[in-house]
Amino acid sequence: MELQLDAVMKNYKSKQVLKGITLTMGTGVYGLLGPNGAGKTTMIRMLADVLRPTKGRILYDGKDIRDLGDAYRAKIGYLPQDVSFYGDFTGRDYLEYSAALKGMEKARAKRRIEELARSVGLWEDLKRNCTAYSGGMQRRLGIAQALLDDPEILILDEPTSGLDPHERIKFRNIISAYAKDRLVLLSTHIVSDVEQIAAQIMMMEHGHIRHIHTGGEYVHMMEGRVWLVEMPADRLVDFQNQAVISNVRAKDGCMEVRIIEEAKPFPDAVQAMPTLEDAYLYLFNYLPEKARR
Amino acid sequence: MPLFRFELRKLLLNKKTLLLLLCLFVLYSVVGLTSTMFLIGGNDSYRAYEEQAAAWEGPLDSERAAEAEAIYQEVSARYGTDSRMIARSVKDQPEIILAVNYHAYAERVEEYWNGTPPESAEEPYGIALLQGKIGSLESQGKQDSFVYRELSAALQRLKELGEPRFANALLWENLFGNWGEHMMQFLLFVPLTFVIAPVFAVERSSGMDNLILSARNGRRKIVTAKLLSALAASTVVVALYLAATFLLGFLPHGSFHGWDAAIQSIPAYTRSMFRFKVWQLAAVGAAWLIFTGAVYSLIICFISSRMKSQMGAAGVSLAVLFVNVGLAAMGDAVAQRLGPLVDFGLANVTLMKEVFGGYKVFDVFGMCVSYPGLAILVLAAVAAAAALGAYRGQKSRAVA
Repeated sequence: MELQLDAVMKNYKSKQVLKGITLTMGTGVYGLLGPNGAGKTTMIRMLADVLRPTKGRILYDGKDIRDLGDAYRAKIGYLPQDVSFYGDFTGRDYLEYSAALKGMEKARAKRRIEELARSVGLWEDLKRNCTAYSGGMQRRLGIAQALLDDPEILILDEPTSGLDPHERIKFRNIISAYAKDRLVLLSTHIVSDVEQIAAQIMMMEHGHIRHIHTGGEYVHMMEGRVWLVEMPADRLVDFQNQAVISNVRAKDGCMEVRIIEEAKPFPDAVQAMPTLEDAYLYLFNYLPEKARR
Repeated sequence: MPLFRFELRKLLLNKKTLLLLLCLFVLYSVVGLTSTMFLIGGNDSYRAYEEQAAAWEGPLDSERAAEAEAIYQEVSARYGTDSRMIARSVKDQPEIILAVNYHAYAERVEEYWNGTPPESAEEPYGIALLQGKIGSLESQGKQDSFVYRELSAALQRLKELGEPRFANALLWENLFGNWGEHMMQFLLFVPLTFVIAPVFAVERSSGMDNLILSARNGRRKIVTAKLLSALAASTVVVALYLAATFLLGFLPHGSFHGWDAAIQSIPAYTRSMFRFKVWQLAAVGAAWLIFTGAVYSLIICFISSRMKSQMGAAGVSLAVLFVNVGLAAMGDAVAQRLGPLVDFGLANVTLMKEVFGGYKVFDVFGMCVSYPGLAILVLAAVAAAAALGAYRGQKSRAVA
């Protein structure tokens, strides 16, 4: 199975949101990272077939998804950024309605609803009106909806926003187990969500996919570019506008500052083990900052 | 089927809409009840009217007509010439109401034989008038013209129907008034607009478009489910109106008298060329209202499929309705100029009195097609176009 974007562009009036993205994805988990306004949601929506490209094509196994129509949509599960609900639907109603939309056979839908409701921890709450759910519960209900028909392609836009740490770990485990022979595309701001489970991580900015690497490759790229230095708090105030700082931690009366920099920033700075978050900051904050210097 | 069930629930079977339907039922019941109460006094008055009218029913009796004329002259000098106003003013005097109604009936018989005045802008009616017009066309050698065929068919039908007979169909007359006058369009079609308008637009305002448009059945089957649910909802609302006005129109007097009279006995349908009994017209009228309500609902569905908000959809739908009502109310000169736009506009075509109350035929490729016949074709075409538009809209729809 292969999903391909072929020079996909999207314009909103004069604003170009996607600038000719060409990309091929196979099975596995793909993480999509990027700052706000990068075009992640637009790209996700096109893959979910709820938005049409201005130019270019999206191909599933070589066939345009517009030509495939229902056959393509039968293969996808989609969790949008904002999950919405009808006022008087219970959690069960919502999932049953989703199953009807996906054309699932009644008995199978019933079985899957039970499985997934238990899996996302909503079994006890299915009879409650879903507008009365907490943000995290609504998100979990949305995840259950996306997984309902066992889709070949799972598209998740900000799936973990509103989830507590335990729920996020649980979500990651569900997705990892799920992604064996399927394609999972996961767009997020939360770097740790994709760091753990994504085989390929795409960094997106200004309507372009800038980089596609594995998590390890990003970390490797950052070797020798992450530094730890201790400094007093008042000096940090002056310094923080001149450098890309990925973390600050109070330590023994002063501040331990984690700095992204290609060269050693201070004589007493020591190299630190890089992470994906460092790579994100390097690509989206340090390099543009450096270009402006 | 499961999708239809959910769509029906979203549109109709939810607390808000059910509450609205309950309020509508109360409103329609009040309309049915008050219209009957103003028709004639209490139950005793109606019973007395029914008893007295039984002796007057049948073909025109010239002695009774003269008697009724004398009473009418006296009453109209006091209350004016409007028969409804007279009836309301003397609603506890059934004998006077009967005389006034008989007087009006005698005038209708006169019209049946001698016809409308030649200068009238109405459709030509009456044996003598039609014969005169046909004779004039024959003398001009226009036997092949559409007008000649139309008038000949009208004359033949008028002769077949025969002279109108007097019958007591007072309560039915009231019912057909409730079902076939402009007030109905406001009472029925305005609430219907608010019930149906969310059908597609709600998905945009609720943000559910994402889920629906990305689903296998989110582009075609959902449209079928939504259209069917809109049709079901419109049928329920119209049925509610029909049932409430029917029940509360007859219940106070506990009588269905006149149910088997010819519809020509009812003033508004005297000129009708349909050989219907009163009960048959009631059935046809109910079916017609359900049909036209369904067509209007499909138009709303189409509008809703193009709008981003429910209120926007309701606003545009109401604008369409009111523009039609406005055009129809613009008088004969405008109506004649706009022709089919008025004839087949929502305002006229939803009124059973307009469609079944007269004799109007249209020249379709040289064939005489009756108003209801052509109206069914036009409305079916409008409904099909609206449904097709909704399907096309959903197919190309994208999230905002």
